[in-house]
Amino acid sequence: MSAGNRGINKPLQGLRIADFTVHAAGPFSTHLLALLGAECIKVETSKRLDVFRKPHPVYGRMEAASFAQVAANKKSVQINLKEPRGVELAKRLVAVSDMMCESFRPGVMERLGLGYTALKAVKPDIVMLSVSACGQTGPERSYAGYAPLFGATGGLGTLTGYKDGPPVELRHVMDHSAGLNAATVALAALFRKKRTGLGLHVDLAAREVATSFIGDALLQFAATSTAPGRQGNDAANKAPHNVYPCAGKDSWVSIAVATDMEWRGLAGALGRPDWLTNPKYAEAGTRWQNRKDLDAEITAWTCDRKREDVARMLQAAGVAAFPSYTSQDIVDDPHLNQRGAIQSLNSPEGQSRKVVGPPWRFSRTPGSLDTWTPKLGEHNQYVFGDLLGLTRDEIDTLIREKVIY
Amino acid sequence: MSDPSNRAPLSGVVVVEHATSVAASYAGRVLALMGATVIKVEPPDGDPLRREGASLHAECGVGPLFAYLNVNKSSVTLNLGLPEGRAILGELIDRASVFLDDTAPSDRARLGITPDEVARRCPELIYVSVLPFGAIGEHSEYRGYELNLFHAGGEGYLMPNGLALEMFPDRPPVKIYGHFAEFNGGTSAVCATFAALMVQQEMGGQFVDVSVQDVNVAISCFAIQQLGEGTLENRHERSFKYGGVLECCDGYVQVLTLEQHQWEGLVKLMGDPKWALDPELKDPLDRGRRGKLINLHLRAWAKMQLVEDVVKRGQALGVPLAKYAEPDEILESEQTRVREMFHKVPAAGLGEIPVLAAPYQFMLPEKLVFCAVQPGADNARVLGEWLGHTASDLQRWAGAGAS
Repeated sequence: MSAGNRGINKPLQGLRIADFTVHAAGPFSTHLLALLGAECIKVETSKRLDVFRKPHPVYGRMEAASFAQVAANKKSVQINLKEPRGVELAKRLVAVSDMMCESFRPGVMERLGLGYTALKAVKPDIVMLSVSACGQTGPERSYAGYAPLFGATGGLGTLTGYKDGPPVELRHVMDHSAGLNAATVALAALFRKKRTGLGLHVDLAAREVATSFIGDALLQFAATSTAPGRQGNDAANKAPHNVYPCAGKDSWVSIAVATDMEWRGLAGALGRPDWLTNPKYAEAGTRWQNRKDLDAEITAWTCDRKREDVARMLQAAGVAAFPSYTSQDIVDDPHLNQRGAIQSLNSPEGQSRKVVGPPWRFSRTPGSLDTWTPKLGEHNQYVFGDLLGLTRDEIDTLIREKVIY
Repeated sequence: MSDPSNRAPLSGVVVVEHATSVAASYAGRVLALMGATVIKVEPPDGDPLRREGASLHAECGVGPLFAYLNVNKSSVTLNLGLPEGRAILGELIDRASVFLDDTAPSDRARLGITPDEVARRCPELIYVSVLPFGAIGEHSEYRGYELNLFHAGGEGYLMPNGLALEMFPDRPPVKIYGHFAEFNGGTSAVCATFAALMVQQEMGGQFVDVSVQDVNVAISCFAIQQLGEGTLENRHERSFKYGGVLECCDGYVQVLTLEQHQWEGLVKLMGDPKWALDPELKDPLDRGRRGKLINLHLRAWAKMQLVEDVVKRGQALGVPLAKYAEPDEILESEQTRVREMFHKVPAAGLGEIPVLAAPYQFMLPEKLVFCAVQPGADNARVLGEWLGHTASDLQRWAGAGAS
């Protein structure tokens, strides 16, 4: 039977999310759920515009973004939560939703009267997801946090960097990794709700997501009292394992060799059968010890070759190699376009733009990216009128009185 | 089962994990923590990841990565080069709800696990394929380890930023510690597994094609968005104009003031120095333009500070300031203790050692258990008791090298 015959086209079809998240991590989590087919209603206010709706000089953007990936596939409503009637509207929205997500500092939702207990009273089986820097509990729960900060406190930034250099700040990928984890645990809670009928409050701490990436290092430390420290591009048991310069400005290729078969493939592709008998390189252990010399020899070979040619040649020899992709390389990549990981999306004005599509391919219920970033309050009428049953007059009054604002 | 409110989301769900990659193993880990029964199928000499890195302890026999990735899983060994081994894998899949596999697409036919074959055999099964570049597309047969995938997703080109880049502008880009791209690949696979489970009752099974590259492109979406705004990001220009990593007398902190009140808090924290009160630094755009000068002052001030003290005082003033925490500090911090992030897990030769469960407070298991030291330690329980084979079957397979 086809998916259409059974009436289900997407995994989260029919599921509604009241989305109160801000910044990057929270909105990315609900964006993923929206790609899976959930109806995601983004709650915003003119009182404090979302970060993409205003200039962002720290990122060199002097005006509002023309498109925000994490807001795509979502609907936008305006609610002024500083107004008691705004809080009531928020509760009514939650009452018709399956899930509520927020990413304010811990305590803010309670102060607004929108904590889990209050929401459970209007929707007993609500799944509530709270995304914060340090979690809802603990002495540091109210600490401010952006990606570089929770990357630091979580230890991932500490272990990242050149061996002889300082730690390195982590950027949006840290936010979005937290969002990916948040979407995953939200789905787990939704699946549990489907099985048991029970809602739940899920508490995700972004710094703990950062820590989850160094779980092996913490284990090593706990067992041996030594932590790995910053390692640059080194990896245990792999040599060569580095990023090598290629022809062209700031052009690089990554090469990683783990097995003897890959090593033989590399030596063959580079025309260096002597490496296989050279005592410096022949065995994995000595090869790792002499990796700097090996890096120099590989660099001499890559530096006047195109990175695509190097990658193609080495992959044909069974060696893991790939160019260091810029964002332009990514949007131009035929493989990613074929998979739908990169897609074209039209703005309401008809402008086509390359955007990021769903990162999974389902054989029967594919996710999809369908709609552009909504305009602020674009779906006020649909949500307050159609879903919540307010009359046109009531909506107009609330707009006039800056409750819908 | 008694009280449904205590039931983990995946209680009663059986996952067969046939994987040697970090991404798929990480997915199996998370599914196990969510309550699934995860059966890890290894070759008779064990998953190669068992040998990655120095062994935690002579009695343990495995490195920290394998130990971390394989909590709460059972281990069975099968030689899929032999028909008996493939037949037993088929039996396991018949009894599972989810099949997690990272076999290269071209090898699946040899093992009898192409998506079509599996769908015919088990129409209700969710087949989650986890591969570096996915199961279709011109790179689907490409090999890819962490370093390659980090660069294939776009973030590799953009690292490092800030202080590290200023110190070493001519070095090759540096990766994030460990298996950042691959763990994200695993989490993406779990996300997709739950999505497929949400409609399994209505739709039956399906094939889910997860690519580690795809999810790393997704988490790098801000760079793609910036490209659409006309900016091709590179690591030199992406650095924050001021702030970032600061060296104190006893370690490093991170400071990032995105909002005006945060900058004002920082100025106060520094004791309202004359240079910071310059009217020319009032406007954020002007500050951006004078980032180098600000950094000179900031770094000189930071060198005189103690990390713990400055973070505490800064946070009290609303300044986003954080310590670059070392592993021992994470294991021992009060925040960690209150949130019960680590479970004490018995390890051969080591007694009990702390292991991070998951980065969320949600229905986690009471107990974490390391995967058995011996590959195939659960053959008798899984292949015998669960699949219903006799002890002599098991002996025969072992003798023939099938398990």
